[in-house]
Amino acid sequence: MAHSFPEEVLEHVFSFVHTDKDRNSVSLVCKSWYEVERWSRRRIFIGNCYAASPGILIRRFPEVRSVEIKGKPHFADYNLVPEGWGGYVYPWIVAMARAYPWLEEIRLKRMVVSDEALELVSKSFKNFKVLAMSSCEGFTTDGLAAIASNCNCEFGGNEVKMVYFALSERNLRELDLQECDVDDQSGHWFCHFPDTFTSLVSLNIACIESDVSLPALERLVARCPNLRSLRLNRAVPLERLPNLLCRAPQLVEFGTGAYSAEIRADVFVSLTTAFSGCKYLKGLSGFWNVVPAYIPAVHTLCSGLTCLNLSYANIQTPDLGKLVSLCHNLQRLWVLDFIEDSGLDALAASCKDLRELRVFPSDPFGPEPNVSLTEQGLVSVSEGCPKLESVLYFCRQMSNAALTAIANNRPNLTRFRLCILEPRAPDYLTLEPLDVGFGAIVERCKDLRRLSLSGLLTDRVFQYIGTHGKKIEMLSIAFAGDSDLGLHHVLSGCESLKKLEIRDCPFGDKALLANAPKLETMRSLWMSSCQVSYGACKLLGQKMPRLNVEVIDERGPPTSRSESSFVEKLYIYRTVAGRRMDMPNFIWKIDEDAVFGLS
Amino acid sequence: MHGQRYKVVPFEEILHARMSEGTMAVVKPEMKSYIWVQTADGSIQQVEEEVAMFCPMICREVLQTGMGSSKNYAISLPQRVNPATLGLILDYCRFHQLQGRSNKERKIFDEKFVRLDTEKLCELASAADSLQLRPLVDLTSRALARMIEGRTPEEVREIFNIPDDLTEEEKLEPLRNITDDPHIRLLNRLYARKRKELKEREQLKSIENEEERVDKRSVDDLLSFINGGDGDSKGVRAIKNKKKNRKRKDQLPRNSSSNNGNGDHKKNDTVDNVASPNKSSKFQDSEPVTFSPNLEFVEDDMDDELDPAMREEIDREVEDFARRLNSVWPKRIQESVSLGNERLVPMSVYGSGSLKRFNGFGKQQ
Repeated sequence: MAHSFPEEVLEHVFSFVHTDKDRNSVSLVCKSWYEVERWSRRRIFIGNCYAASPGILIRRFPEVRSVEIKGKPHFADYNLVPEGWGGYVYPWIVAMARAYPWLEEIRLKRMVVSDEALELVSKSFKNFKVLAMSSCEGFTTDGLAAIASNCNCEFGGNEVKMVYFALSERNLRELDLQECDVDDQSGHWFCHFPDTFTSLVSLNIACIESDVSLPALERLVARCPNLRSLRLNRAVPLERLPNLLCRAPQLVEFGTGAYSAEIRADVFVSLTTAFSGCKYLKGLSGFWNVVPAYIPAVHTLCSGLTCLNLSYANIQTPDLGKLVSLCHNLQRLWVLDFIEDSGLDALAASCKDLRELRVFPSDPFGPEPNVSLTEQGLVSVSEGCPKLESVLYFCRQMSNAALTAIANNRPNLTRFRLCILEPRAPDYLTLEPLDVGFGAIVERCKDLRRLSLSGLLTDRVFQYIGTHGKKIEMLSIAFAGDSDLGLHHVLSGCESLKKLEIRDCPFGDKALLANAPKLETMRSLWMSSCQVSYGACKLLGQKMPRLNVEVIDERGPPTSRSESSFVEKLYIYRTVAGRRMDMPNFIWKIDEDAVFGLS
Repeated sequence: MHGQRYKVVPFEEILHARMSEGTMAVVKPEMKSYIWVQTADGSIQQVEEEVAMFCPMICREVLQTGMGSSKNYAISLPQRVNPATLGLILDYCRFHQLQGRSNKERKIFDEKFVRLDTEKLCELASAADSLQLRPLVDLTSRALARMIEGRTPEEVREIFNIPDDLTEEEKLEPLRNITDDPHIRLLNRLYARKRKELKEREQLKSIENEEERVDKRSVDDLLSFINGGDGDSKGVRAIKNKKKNRKRKDQLPRNSSSNNGNGDHKKNDTVDNVASPNKSSKFQDSEPVTFSPNLEFVEDDMDDELDPAMREEIDREVEDFARRLNSVWPKRIQESVSLGNERLVPMSVYGSGSLKRFNGFGKQQ
C-alpha cells in the first residue's frame, strides 16, 4: 500500500470492517492504521469492566457512539459471587457523560447500576437511543422514572455551549430490563413517559414486580408506531392484552404477563382475534401462571414463530407438545422440562429449522424426578433437527452412548451445555465416568465454542478437551477431574480459551503456575472451592503484573492462615488498568509487593 | 475546424461556452465527443466525453472551466490518477454510464471488476476518491475491507505490504505459543521426573521384594555381586529405564499440534469402551490418564535453545517451584484421591441452597 493512501479512503475502508476482532486486528497493523481506526471506532465492547478503565477507553476512542460493558463473572448467576463484589457502572457513566456527548447506546450485563447512574444517563447524552441492561441490579424504579422523564427532550437556546443543537431531540428507542433485580418502589415511574414520546421501538419490563399503570401503557403503545418489541411484566392481566395488541399489530416480539384469567368465552375470543391480528409476530415469551384453556388462543401465531420462550411457563404435556409441534418455523425454543421426552420427540419431528434448545429444570432441588425427561429427549432432537447448534439441557441422567450419539448426529454444535443435576453422576447405564461421551462431543464438534460439563468426569475428559477443543472459548467445569493434570490439559491445549470457570474441582497450584502465561491470553479465570493455595496466588500476583489476582475469602485475611491453605474463591483476569480501587473488604488483591488492598 | 460537421452534444452549456470562446469540441466522424485529460506523469490522452463526464471531478472541470476541449487545454487529473488506473476507471464509467443495464448486470460487472491485486485495488480506490466517483470508492473500499476481514495483523501487513512500526510494548506483547514456553517445558519435565521417580520407587520396591525372596546364593556369589562383578543390578535397571524413556520420547511427536498418535489412541479407546463397557478403567486407578505428548519426558537437548542467563533464572525458578511442589505433593495426592472417594451431600451442580432467582439457570440471552 503506497504511503500516499489517503486517510479518508482508509477510514472509508474501515467503515466496512465491523467485528471487534477485525477492528482490533486493524489497529495492530501499523501506527497510522491504529490512529485512523481509533478515531473511526464507533462501537466498543468491554467484556470485563475491570480489564480497562473509563480513562483508557476515552483516551483511545474519542468518538464512540455505542458501549457494551460486562461486570460480574458468569458464576454470579449461580450465587457464587458475594454481594458487594463490584461491577459499578457509575464511574463509566461519569466519564462518558463528559467525553461522549453523542453517545447513543449503553448495554450492560451483570453490573451494579445506581439510581444516580441512571439519572446521569438520562440527562447527559443528547442523542441517546438505547438503554439495555441484562442481569443488572442496584437501581430502583426512581432511576427508571428519571430515564422515562428525560427520554424525549428538545434542546433549545438555553444550551449555551452547543447552540447548534437547538434542533436536536433525544429520542429513546429501546429500554430493555432483561432479568434485572429492580428495587420496586412503585409502578408510578411508568407515568413519567411524556406524551411527546413516540419513538419507542423496544420495551422490556418483564422483571418489574409492581403494577404499571395500564392506561398509561395503552397510551404509550398507541402513540409509538415503530414499536416492534413489547415484553410486559407479570402484573399485566390477560384480559388487557387484546387492547394492547390491537394498538400494536406491527409487533414482531411480544411477551405476555400472567397468562391466566377466569375462563370466559368472550375473553378467549377477543384474545384469539387480537393474536391473529399480529401478522408479523415472530417471538413470544412471558406465560407466567398459564391456564391451559387459553393456550389455543396463540395457535394461529405458531406457524410464524421463530422464537418461543416458555422458560417460566408451567404448561404441561400434552398442551405443550401440541403447541410446540405447531411451530414449524421455530428456530429457538426455551422451555421447562415439562416438555418431557415425548414433547421433545414432537419437537424433533415438527421443527426442522430449530437452531437453539434450552430446557430448564422445573424442580431442580427435588430429590426425585418430577417429570419424564431423560437423555433420550436430547438425542431425539439431535437426530431430528439438522440445524441444531446451541444446547442448554438440564436433566437427571446421561450416558456415554447418548452423548456419543448426539455428537455423531450434530457435529455442527457450537454451544453445548449439559447440566446433570446431581454432581458426579456417572453414566447411568454403565456407571462409568462420562469422559468418553464428552470426548466424542469435543472431537466431533469441531466448531464448538462453548462447553459446560457435568456428571462424573476424570482427568481423561480434560485430555480430550485439550486435544480437540481448539475453538472452545468458554468452558464451565464443576465437580470434575482427579488432579492438576486435568487443569493443565485445558490450559495448555485449548488455544481459543477466553473464559474458564471452575468450581469444586481438585485443581491446585501446579497447573495454574505452569500455565501462568496462558492466563494473560484469556479474559478471566474463576476457581472456587478448588485447591489453590494462598502461596500460589501470591506467586502468580508477583510474577504476572498484567493480571489481577483477586482472592475472595470471607473468612478473613489470607495471611491469618498458612501459605499452603486453600483460598475460597479466586478470580484472575487480565487488565491494563492495574489494581482496582473498589474492592470490598473480603477481596484480597495480590500485587507485586504481595501487599493486598483493602477498601 | 470550420468545415467539420459536429453533432449537438447533450451539454448545451459546453456548446455555448465553447462557441462563445471560439473553440469547438473535436468531433470524430462516429459522432462521439472526446475530452483531453492529462495524468500526473505528463501524458495526455483523449477520452470519450460521455464516459469521462461520469466522474464528478471531470464533469465539474469541464462545466466550470471549459477545459478539456483540446490538447493544449487538457484537464489535469489529480496526482493519484496514473494512466493505468485511469484506464480502469474509464472501463468502469463506460459500463455504468449506460442507462439500460439491469441491477444484476451491474452487480456481476462490479464483482468481476474488483478482482485485482491489492496494490491495484488501493490505487483504484485512491484515484476514484480523488475523482469523487463515490460508487467506485464504495466498491473498492468494500473489496479492501473483505481482504482485511478474518485476518491477523501480520497477514494484513503482508497483503498490503505495510511495514510493522509498532513496538512490542505498544502491541502489549505478542501472544506466545504456550507449548514453547520454557517455563512450561521445564515444569513438564518436573512432572515427568516426579512421575518417573515414583514409578522407579515402586519398581525398586518390587525388585527388593523379589531379591529378598530369591536370595539363596552362595557367599562367594554374593561377595562378587557386592564387589561389582555384574555391576549394581539396581543401577542397571535404572539406566535401562532411562534409555527406554529416551527412545519413547524420540518416537512421539514433539508438540501437541499433530497429536495424531494421541488421536488414534483415543479412537481405539472409544471403540473399546463402546464395545465392552465392563472393561474400561475405573477412575480410581493410580494412572487413569496417559500423558499428552506435551508432558513426555523432554531431554536436556531442549536447554540448548536457551541462553545461559535465562537458563539460570529458569533453573532457579524451577527449584523454587520444585521446593513448593515437594513440600505439598504427597499430601496433595492423598487429598485428591480421597476427594474422589468422598460421598458428598447431594447438591445441585449449578446452584446452591439459596437461589435468589429461579432464572439463575442461564435464562437471559
